[in-house]
Amino acid sequence: MAARDVGDALEAAGVAVRAAGDGDEVAGVRPRWVALPESAEEIAAVMRVCAAHDLAAVATGGGTKLHWGAPPDRCDVLVDLCCMNRPPEHAAGDLVVRAQAGVTVEALARALAEGGQELALDVPVPGTTVGGLLATGIAGPRRFRHGTARDLLIGVTVVLADGTIAKSGGKVVKNVAGYDLGKLFTGSYGTLGIIADATFRLHPLPAARAWVTATVERPVTETYGTWTNEDGLTFETLTTDLAGSLATMVPAVTESPLEPSAVEMDWPDAEGPCTVAVLVEGAAAAERAKALCALIGGALSDAQVTEEPPPWWGRLPEPPAPDGPPGPLGAGTGAGDGDGGEILLEVRNVPSRLAGSFVGPLTAAREAGVHAAVRGSLASHVFHVALPPDTEPRRVAAFTGGLRAHMETDGDGRVVVLAAPQEAARRLDRWGHVGALPLMRRVKERFDPDRRLSPGRFLGGI
Amino acid sequence: MSELERLTERLTAALPPDAVLTDPVRLRTYECDGLTHHRATPGVVVLPETAEQVAAVVRLCGEHGVPFVARGSGTGLSGGALPRTDGVLIVTSRMRRILEIDIPNRRAVVEPGVTNLAITEAVRDRGYYYAPDPSSQQVCSIGGNVAENSGGAHCLKYGFTVNHVLSAEIVTPDGEIVELSAQDPGYDLLGAFIGSEGTLGIATKITVRLSRAPEVVTTLLAAFTGIEAGGRAVSAIIAAGVVPAAIEMMDALAIEAAEAAVHCRYPAGAGAVLVVELDGPHAEVEHQFAAVERICRDNGAFEIRVAASAEERAAIWKGRKSAFAAVGRISPAYIVQDGVVPRTALPRVLAGIDLLQEEYGIRVANVFHAGDGNLHPLVLFDDSVPGEAERAEAVSGRILDLCVEHGGSITGEHGVGVDKARYMPRMFTEDDLDTMQLVRCAFDPRGLANPGKVFPTPRLCGEVPGVRRGAHPLVEAGLAEQF
Amino acid sequence: MDPELIKDCVHCGFCLPTCPTYVLWGEEMDSPRGRIHLMGQHVEGTPLTDAMAGHFDACLGCMACVTACPSGVRYDRLIEQTRAVVEREHVRRPDERAIRALVFALFPYRRRLRAMRLPMRLSRRLQPFLEQVHPSLGAMAELAPDAPRPVRLPPLVRARRRRRARVGLLTGCVQGEFFPQVNAATARVLALEGCDVVIPPRQGCCGALSLHSGREAEARRFARRTIAVFERAGVDAVVVNAAGCGSSMKDYAEVLADEPGWAARARALRTRDLAEFLIELGPVAGRHPLPVTIAYHDACHLAHAQGVRAQPRELLRAIPGLELREIGESAVCCGSAGTYNLFQPEAARQLGDRKAERVLAAGADLLVSANPGCTMQIAASVRRAGKGEIRVAHTAEVLDASLRGLGSV
Ligand SMILES: Cc1cc2nc3c(=O)[nH]c(=O)nc-3n(C[C@H](O)[C@H](O)[C@@H](O)COP(=O)(O)OP(=O)(O)OC[C@H]3O[C@@H](n4cnc5c(N)ncnc54)[C@H](O)[C@@H]3O)c2cc1C
Ligand SMILES: Cc1cc2nc3c(=O)[nH]c(=O)nc-3n(C[C@H](O)[C@H](O)[C@H](O)COP(=O)(O)OP(=O)(O)OC[C@H]3O[C@@H](n4cnc5c(N)ncnc54)[C@H](O)[C@@H]3O)c2cc1C
Ligand code: SF4
Ligand code: SF4
Repeated sequence: MAARDVGDALEAAGVAVRAAGDGDEVAGVRPRWVALPESAEEIAAVMRVCAAHDLAAVATGGGTKLHWGAPPDRCDVLVDLCCMNRPPEHAAGDLVVRAQAGVTVEALARALAEGGQELALDVPVPGTTVGGLLATGIAGPRRFRHGTARDLLIGVTVVLADGTIAKSGGKVVKNVAGYDLGKLFTGSYGTLGIIADATFRLHPLPAARAWVTATVERPVTETYGTWTNEDGLTFETLTTDLAGSLATMVPAVTESPLEPSAVEMDWPDAEGPCTVAVLVEGAAAAERAKALCALIGGALSDAQVTEEPPPWWGRLPEPPAPDGPPGPLGAGTGAGDGDGGEILLEVRNVPSRLAGSFVGPLTAAREAGVHAAVRGSLASHVFHVALPPDTEPRRVAAFTGGLRAHMETDGDGRVVVLAAPQEAARRLDRWGHVGALPLMRRVKERFDPDRRLSPGRFLGGI
Repeated sequence: MSELERLTERLTAALPPDAVLTDPVRLRTYECDGLTHHRATPGVVVLPETAEQVAAVVRLCGEHGVPFVARGSGTGLSGGALPRTDGVLIVTSRMRRILEIDIPNRRAVVEPGVTNLAITEAVRDRGYYYAPDPSSQQVCSIGGNVAENSGGAHCLKYGFTVNHVLSAEIVTPDGEIVELSAQDPGYDLLGAFIGSEGTLGIATKITVRLSRAPEVVTTLLAAFTGIEAGGRAVSAIIAAGVVPAAIEMMDALAIEAAEAAVHCRYPAGAGAVLVVELDGPHAEVEHQFAAVERICRDNGAFEIRVAASAEERAAIWKGRKSAFAAVGRISPAYIVQDGVVPRTALPRVLAGIDLLQEEYGIRVANVFHAGDGNLHPLVLFDDSVPGEAERAEAVSGRILDLCVEHGGSITGEHGVGVDKARYMPRMFTEDDLDTMQLVRCAFDPRGLANPGKVFPTPRLCGEVPGVRRGAHPLVEAGLAEQF
Repeated sequence: MDPELIKDCVHCGFCLPTCPTYVLWGEEMDSPRGRIHLMGQHVEGTPLTDAMAGHFDACLGCMACVTACPSGVRYDRLIEQTRAVVEREHVRRPDERAIRALVFALFPYRRRLRAMRLPMRLSRRLQPFLEQVHPSLGAMAELAPDAPRPVRLPPLVRARRRRRARVGLLTGCVQGEFFPQVNAATARVLALEGCDVVIPPRQGCCGALSLHSGREAEARRFARRTIAVFERAGVDAVVVNAAGCGSSMKDYAEVLADEPGWAARARALRTRDLAEFLIELGPVAGRHPLPVTIAYHDACHLAHAQGVRAQPRELLRAIPGLELREIGESAVCCGSAGTYNLFQPEAARQLGDRKAERVLAAGADLLVSANPGCTMQIAASVRRAGKGEIRVAHTAEVLDASLRGLGSV
């Protein structure tokens, strides 16, 4: 069918459409049309046209990070949800809010604050929409206390590939009627359906907040020593480990009855110092922060209480400057065949392997000859690692491999590549091994048998 | 020989000697769960001890096309574990080992038959506990909790089973053992599995999150003259920005029952009591307690008691926790209903229930998780009076209508099971239900896992046209790898 | 089996986790809820099958389910009624019949028991052989304690200092023969606390064994005799130190319900467990320190059948220097349960092992309980586990040691 006919069909469905331009690319794939639906029904109309004409669609909210992730196998229509932004329905007495997918998290927060409440997620990227937030399942520092998007979502309306509008959950916090489709859609990257609106449980805005910050000069200790074998030959040895101050302080803080809401760290260069920050919320925040400060002060002498968060709080790490010396990989500096795109990895771990979360990036960075910036949650053990944007692809691959070797050995650590330039992404496995992948494929086959929604963007090429 | 008999022979060969029950008298003891008016004698009962045995049973069921139903402790209140006369009942009561307690990582790995309370008991000494606390916690199994996404009084602050399960090993309806983990990237299949009432497979190993015991717990009992005043106090507490660990309410009739059963000695003359529990760091609780106490008084509480010790706290909770079973003391028979309304709609819904009591001449005792609007009306009747059971049933159904009308849910924690499947269309459209079926069909295309539960009309998972079965074109072209 | 009592069960399952047989086997039919369901099936007309009788026989009668039940189901009454039906309607295997006959011919009769003491000690050495003949005989031999020195108690022990009460003491068949020192200790403690203790020499068995095994007529006969004996003694209360006897005496009114005259006389008899009585009375005698760590075991017939849990602990805790430790799964039976270890040796052994494991984990110097059957059972399990001998004592002996300032038990 000719391009014009499809455009007409979309328009005939009553949905605003325009031709796609340069700025509409999804990870390098340029769609032909951009549809701008204003309601679930209009999304459904778009999807029906897509179904009739075998077109592939990708949803977008703020479009803030659409270039992340694998490029779609095909993309004909970009379904831009920016117009789905009616003011949120805030039922303060019930501690719930219902918002359309295109509402930005900032707008939502403003509306909720008027009623003295908040959605207890810290979204790291400004401009994120409710839909994008759910589709990528992101969360920030306070996931330690409140969980992630899935834990706060109580109801959702979605539009499937064939235009079916379905909802699950509702507007009450407690509800076990039927399957929880909201969970399934959270973190599905738009591959199962398009989220039209969502209902969340809320929390009262805390009466006060306070942070305790401190610096660790050398998070990883390196001890040189010697070792002599039975033949009398002596070897030099190097033992790397987590600094004792961190090793004792982190569990002391997270398990403390003072109940911090978050414990974060910022380590802009794996060769340098790192900052630790602890958040306390509640009417007695100041008092509790002081007690925590004393607790931390035992290990880290510069611990102090502040009323404002450190500037990096709740943000993704900035990539370090690519000025490192060439590493053991040999020839070439950072600026090689990379295409200049962002490189960001997510690392998950368990508390007992805390040392690995520090030693891992440091060792992997040295072995791959790159610089790495690490930021994330010491309490929930979810970290983001950024490399300089134009790091050579094979170094990115080597770094990822090295990090996985460190983190995934005992089955608890996970490394996912969120963003990497095409050239680099081809050389690595973005997602790592996932045992339930065959079951996930079956879910995708049922929801989107013709692979019309963000095909190829998810793990295993889903 | 019937298919079931052929299957039974193979089950007997595949399992340990006493793991297959076929004696009709024994089979009948499994005919119902906690909801006793739905009964069916299972075709055969198996008591496996390992995941491999469960997988073997499920595979054999698949080969013979025989349906299977999972059962934990059989305390479900929606008939979720109602057996099939033509099927196999797979009971997890011999899978009750705590496999690992990992305090540094705040988790415990358990078999599905382990009781909810057993986990807390195993870690309490070290200052931890397992947060979801259904009233049936001393007996209900973790597998059942996962299947029902059970909650308890404390889920107001701490959430439900789904918020506390880190991963689950399941046997899929085609007999494969798969690990679903919250840690893994990809679809949140764990989230979809939890609350699926045994229709997506059988959980054989569960890793739960352990929570740190709070520094202090303060429990307060406030007596009001009536339910309206209690309700106002609840709203005011929430509006003041306090999130208690629990806020529970009981009306006069429920208090009377609890009094008869456990002599909880709630204040005399109370038309409603509110149990409010605050927990957390000492300094915060102190703050909140002052606010809650003032709010209760401002809203007409005529007596407030504060538990000074663990024993006193237990005494306050005893009345609340025993309320369901205790109603047996004031009425020959009763129905435990479970519905949810937005909290702000509580007064209207309670008024509606009052009207229903008058209209049908049936008494209703109210016990509820007031903090999150989860009602447990106990509809009392005398089954020896002709027609009363039917009227009670009608009242019970109309209460659910009220919940749905006010934007609530037909179940907050007991699940849909067989009992409420017919109410599902009142809450969901056909499209909603068909969409849920897509999940079902992905896991269980032949519909052998707990058929007849949750969904009103069994649907076949027809061949979906156009499903790509071959390798992905990108993989073929060497452009992507599948892992 | 009273259908009204059966109907009280709402099938909530709260009783399951404390039921020893459910703990062992994880089967519905061997849980209280399942057994009540089986009773229901029988009432509705299903004949008493071998399988059914087997599940009733497997019930220890520990009454943990009664404690756990929020609906107030009278499982104690139900199982007694059921046992009677089983005795009447069920035809047992010949070897089962022989063992039962032997036990009922022996245990309720002191003289016969006394005659047994020597052969029993011999039989310990023969245990492996007896085990082969019948597991019940093996169990009997394994449990047999060493024959103690006979202790003769006077018919009346006078109160020390001011007299506060006049009580009767039930000496019990097994207690009296195998653990006479416990009765002596009980009498001394009572006397030191200001009681005249009447010990009628002609008292016989209280009927507990018969009652718990469905031998109704026999139980009634024993009950009437015991009532008459203590009426003649003219006491304020009958103090019992054996949990099983205490629980059956407290049930006399129900056992004799068909004989209104006797039922009224039963109600007039104030039966108290020793610990219960001492707490009601309040302490007057001074407590001397006892530096010992004690693991206290709840005997089912005390904790569940009589609801006496707090009192013994309170008494023990009040002893200076004594440290009290709890045993894991304290509500679950040790498997002794009267004649259970004789009739269901396999299950009893498994339960004993489970309990022994938890008792050892408590790491105490001394295991204390109010029932000789329990301590015999647990000590045998500890022995079997190759963990040597565990020191055991009755609550009365510990109190006696403290009151008399012996410095150790
Ligand atoms: C593949 C990918 C993975 C990411 N992973 C993470 C992460 O793990 N952690 C993190 O902090 N940030 C992550 N991000 C960044 C995250 O997208 C941004 O933080 C946030 O701004 C997204 O909101 P947005 O409204 O800008 O969405 P967009 O950037 O427009 O879209 C983001 C993704 O969500 C989908 N999507 C958007 N709206 C809808 C909708 N209504 N229905 C269905 N799908 C929709 C899009 O198709 C796209 O895959 C990821 C982004 C992408 C593209
Ligand atoms: C007095 C009383 C009070 C209660 N209070 C509460 C309460 O406060 N909150 C609450 O949420 N519930 C409550 N319940 C309901 C019930 O206890 C819960 O639903 C519980 O989770 C059921 O657990 P169970 O082991 O008894 O499961 P069962 O009743 O045996 O089974 C329940 C469902 O789970 C499925 N299932 C069981 N095991 C597995 C498995 N391993 N894998 C997959 N599916 C499985 C069954 O097929 C069935 O659909 C109460 C029940 C009673 C009787
Ligand atoms: S008396 Fe003991 S063994 Fe018998 S059913 Fe009750 S708990 Fe189980
Ligand atoms: S606890 Fe009581 S009501 Fe519940 S199943 Fe057991 S006996 Fe029946």
